[in-house]
Amino acid sequence: MQVFGSSELIEDVFNKDLCVACGACVELCPYFKNYKGKTVMLFPCNLSRGRCFAFCPKAEVDLDVLATRFWNTPYEGTPLGKYQNVLMARAGEKMEKAAFQAGGTVSGLMTLALESNLIDAAALTDRENMVAVPRLVTRAENVCGCAGSKFMAAPTLSVINRGAIQGYERMGVVGTPCQITAVAQMKTNPMKSEDFKDPVALTVGLFCTWAVDTRKLLPLLAECIGDACIQGMDMPPPPSEIMVIDTGDHRVEIPLERIRPMVPKGCRVCPDMTSEWADISVGVLEGKPDWNTLIIRTETGAQLVKDACRQGYLKTKPILAENLKHLCVAAANKKKRALIRARDKGLLNTSAKDQRAVLRLRPESAQKIIENDPEEQCRIS
Amino acid sequence: MSHIIAAKAGERLLLMGNEAIARGALEAGISVAAGYPGTPSSDIIERLAGVAKERHLYVEWSTNEKVAMEVAAAASFAGLRSLCVMKQNGVNVASDFLLHLAGSGTRGGMVLVPCDDPGALSSANEGESRHFARMLEIPLLEPGDFQEAKDMIKWAFEFSEEIRNVVMVRSVTRLSHASGSVVLGRLPRTERNAFFKCDGPALDPMEGPVFSMPVTLKHSQQQKKLQQAVAKFEASPFNTYAGPENPELLIISSSACHLYSKEAIHMLGIADRVGLLKMGTTWPLPPQLMQNYLGLTDNILIVEEVIPFLEENVKILVAELAPQIGIKKFFGKKDGTIPMVGEMNPDLVIAALSKILHIENDAVPEIYTSRARELFSAGAPPREMTFCAGCPHRASFWSIHNALRMDNRKGFVCGDIGCYSLAMLPTGFSTLKTLHSMGSGTGIASGFGKLGPFGFDQPAVAVCGDSTFFHAVLPALVNAVHHRSDITLVVLDNSGTAMTGFQPHPGLPVDAAGNEVPAIDVVSVGRSMGAVVRVCDPFDLQNTQKTLLELLEQKGVNILVLKQICALSPEKKAWKPFEMSVDAPTCIGEKCGCNQLCTRVFKCPGLIWDKQANVSRIDEVICTGCGVCASVCPSAAIGKKEVA
Repeated sequence: MQVFGSSELIEDVFNKDLCVACGACVELCPYFKNYKGKTVMLFPCNLSRGRCFAFCPKAEVDLDVLATRFWNTPYEGTPLGKYQNVLMARAGEKMEKAAFQAGGTVSGLMTLALESNLIDAAALTDRENMVAVPRLVTRAENVCGCAGSKFMAAPTLSVINRGAIQGYERMGVVGTPCQITAVAQMKTNPMKSEDFKDPVALTVGLFCTWAVDTRKLLPLLAECIGDACIQGMDMPPPPSEIMVIDTGDHRVEIPLERIRPMVPKGCRVCPDMTSEWADISVGVLEGKPDWNTLIIRTETGAQLVKDACRQGYLKTKPILAENLKHLCVAAANKKKRALIRARDKGLLNTSAKDQRAVLRLRPESAQKIIENDPEEQCRIS
Repeated sequence: MSHIIAAKAGERLLLMGNEAIARGALEAGISVAAGYPGTPSSDIIERLAGVAKERHLYVEWSTNEKVAMEVAAAASFAGLRSLCVMKQNGVNVASDFLLHLAGSGTRGGMVLVPCDDPGALSSANEGESRHFARMLEIPLLEPGDFQEAKDMIKWAFEFSEEIRNVVMVRSVTRLSHASGSVVLGRLPRTERNAFFKCDGPALDPMEGPVFSMPVTLKHSQQQKKLQQAVAKFEASPFNTYAGPENPELLIISSSACHLYSKEAIHMLGIADRVGLLKMGTTWPLPPQLMQNYLGLTDNILIVEEVIPFLEENVKILVAELAPQIGIKKFFGKKDGTIPMVGEMNPDLVIAALSKILHIENDAVPEIYTSRARELFSAGAPPREMTFCAGCPHRASFWSIHNALRMDNRKGFVCGDIGCYSLAMLPTGFSTLKTLHSMGSGTGIASGFGKLGPFGFDQPAVAVCGDSTFFHAVLPALVNAVHHRSDITLVVLDNSGTAMTGFQPHPGLPVDAAGNEVPAIDVVSVGRSMGAVVRVCDPFDLQNTQKTLLELLEQKGVNILVLKQICALSPEKKAWKPFEMSVDAPTCIGEKCGCNQLCTRVFKCPGLIWDKQANVSRIDEVICTGCGVCASVCPSAAIGKKEVA
């Protein structure tokens, strides 16, 4: 994987407006900070190689390197990535009712992960005055306070970076695909440090088609709900074209055509809808608003789901073939759109010496993804 | 007792030019002195304040130069002698009043002493005060050495009373701040009584009301006073000639430049070829005297600093006197013989004389110059201008710079005059993006804050000091509030007029002479205008940044007062609050994650990068123990321990 420094990061990601404010570059050093959803560089650093560039999910992400590290194979480009099993799931009886998004699966998993000391801290995303903010939660009972989708890009990974400095050694992360990709890059020890220690023991990835820029969304939220508190946010599946805000006594609907212009450009070149590099991936389940789709990818993930079911933190059922197929098609479409766009913008597999790429993978795999028909592909999957 | 009054008449002392001026004012029996701090003039008021009690004076650091001149004028109207002191741009500030005062006339002698700064050694401009004498039609004197600095002041007061108008006596840095030998005169014993007689006949200059109207009448009276000056100047001992009866070249010079010319003539050994006419009375130029000397030769070199004031006035005279003295060949600034910017020095005069008289002379041998150039680049470490160790401005601009970056709307700072002007440089993280005169930061920001209808969406921030706040920011602030401009003003309150020597100002409970006086509270003033005002300690980086980020998002006028005393103030210098240290194993300065933030970016002089050990360390001699760097270090490698 090619690693450069902060000047290249500024040139490639910030100046090209590709930053998705994932927080991977924040709290590594004093130069990058995030305020109200915007990551900025305070001062230039003159190191030629840095972790900021290495971790950034929009700078020289080599999918083959990641696939080799995680699955011992080159990147295959299947719609949902590699997995052991796909189920439907929801929080078990042990979990008290909280402001869950859909089934509350993530809350259930993270509560047990902390309770059982699988992780010593959880990097979650909370909401403060309408703004999505990172939280490093260390007590199981505080997990549910962070429940609920925020839809806003939040620098959640910054608390992983700070947590590593503070001495946490087995952190858990709940993140969007870009954030999980950044953590995946962290795990490959890109700086080749001799005393490298992986501080992340568990990754729970979310499904995501796109997120919304915080700074652009805030004035719209203020316009729609004034200074009321947000209890919940949701984006019902197509054909509904709205974002729903629940303030407790009101339900406000915002047409998606007002939201779409606020999607960061970086989301458009993201090939990952289901967080392919996570231990477990969780998202909505079409047609069943209080259940989740649960993808188990690794042994760590499988063990946690097993323990959660056994101890009452989680309930699972087999997923319907129809649901799985729809998920697959959506994921394949996102992957295809992203690669086409990256190619067209000159951000895919660039070869010129001073032209760095956002994504790298074997050209034949890229070609296949771009040319395939998602409906066809998902019939086979 | 201060040495400027301890010595007796007839004694010879080594005095700074400004001290000689102060002594001259005392010998003239002034009662009142007012000014505003400004290098190179400040010492005059400071010395007079130091003897105010013994000599029964009223000495004031006024809010600004205009008010200072008004205060001095009042004393003059009441029949007392008063001195008004400022640096060159202070005259600009006072000029509207001076225009009217020169029209109305004065009573007790009033002398204006501007101290100019050619070369801008401590200024953001090299403006000139001499032009005001010509433009506003008052007499101008320029001392050529330290004895003259004292004697001219005394004479100027007598003459001011003769013509009943202000007399300008102009000094420059190299006279004000250099020292020379001065024989003292007598200090007067009697004092005057103050009374403002204003109910006499309307046009009576000593007993009627004081107006600059009727304008054309008063104006022609004012011009007659100038003619009186010319008559006096024809025979003035302040104009001297040294040289042959028939020189090849006549140098006309004044002020410190005449000393450089004298030195140049001596070093070239051409005293038999070149005559030096030193003018002490430079406006209006006495035509008879000028005619005598201009008639000696056809080659004239005029040596003066910055703009060709003397040169142009001499040329006008020569044009008028042409029938008598013929055509002259001029050398000076207009023809490029001497530069039109910067200070003069003997080398420049030597170069000019060598060129004009075709003398082979290398002021500095070429081989020396080239060797010096080599050594300079290799041997002398580059030294940037920097805030002192422990300066609150470094901490303030750290927060302002970072808050603006995090706000991410391309906000900027309009700067102002003071130590914090340095924030245009890396020491202040290059935060300032405009810098003009006192108070202009707020005025300019007030203008930016009204550009919203034209698509302007960048946060406009202004900074000012506590002294500047009272000097010139107040009207701009009223403007911003009244016109609903969206700005953030950061008042850098370090409890003094620090840049010029930590003089007091209206925000402090003490005056020039050390008396207890009411302090005017910046916070209350801002709030009473209707602005939102918050106060933070700039050493508390986190709180300052958080507050600033909040204010940047608010509309209207928001003021953040950053209150922390100057590192050079007597009370701060006496103690070190914290003992600072760097824990070497924890310092990651050379690694990804730091890149020497403390010594490469923050750059407090108290921090050193140890190239051998590859870590930072504290310079215990320079460090003042303010503790701010401990908050800057990202790996908490800098420790601070409270000193008992």
